[in-house]
Amino acid sequence: MRRPPYHSERRGPLEVKMTPMIDVIFLLLIFFICTASFQMPEEILPTRFLLPGTVASETPIDPEVLDLDEIVVKVLWRDGGPQWQINDRDYTSLAEVRAVLEAAARIKIDLPVILDVDPSVPMENVIDVYDLCRKVGLERVQFAASVAA
Amino acid sequence: MRVPSNLSRGGLGFNMTPMIDVVFLLIIFFLVSSHMAKQEVELELDLPEAGSGQRPDEDDIRRVVVNVLPEQDAAARIVVGGRQIVTEELAQLIGFESRRKAGHLEVRIRADRTVPYRVVEPIMVTCAREGVWKVTFSVVGD
Repeated sequence: MRRPPYHSERRGPLEVKMTPMIDVIFLLLIFFICTASFQMPEEILPTRFLLPGTVASETPIDPEVLDLDEIVVKVLWRDGGPQWQINDRDYTSLAEVRAVLEAAARIKIDLPVILDVDPSVPMENVIDVYDLCRKVGLERVQFAASVAA
Repeated sequence: MRVPSNLSRGGLGFNMTPMIDVVFLLIIFFLVSSHMAKQEVELELDLPEAGSGQRPDEDDIRRVVVNVLPEQDAAARIVVGGRQIVTEELAQLIGFESRRKAGHLEVRIRADRTVPYRVVEPIMVTCAREGVWKVTFSVVGD
């Protein structure tokens, strides 16, 4: 029985079996169906914790003086809504808080910010303030803990 | 009829097609199982929004993901690795993992946006106590 030569340059049209190809397509389809998730992609907000033994000494804060050594932002929860206090001055909107933080950032960009959050404040508002500090450029944000160390 | 031997022509004696199918099956199995494992660790939560979020780095090995659910029941609130956990046990777990990873542990706190701060604060205090300095919050972009 004569067979066509296999190492010749002239080959006929390609004869491909479709069955395995269809198998692969089905497999890929099933893979993508199983792994499809309609969640929004997650991002992270990093924090920088100060460990005990590395905390700088506390300096008293004079709220009137512009030359600040650190800012204390208190987030309170009153009447089902958040309220903010920066160095003991009350603010009722996040935009005002942002303005104060931007002003402080213009003076000193590496100003330490201490976030003192009321226990009943939802994480949404906590992250709002923390995100605001990061947006304004203040990277040194610490969370005040009300637990005896 | 004498069938010429395949080997003398320089070709293989068996079909490659089922082999390729098996390889694809294995690839897809491992892909799907790793995806499912990741989904078990990261529950679906309504995360808070933030504009200054960064992309997380994919170093999965040195991370403990703490999911904080908005349940009212205190026992069902904190879920780590598909398991419900209480704060004291969490302290032990973080301490253990931190010692195991020799101080390079990252603790990722995935808290629902309605969770009050009093649930998350003990987690952060625990991390600070156990010497974990790399704590991140999971957020979605706004």
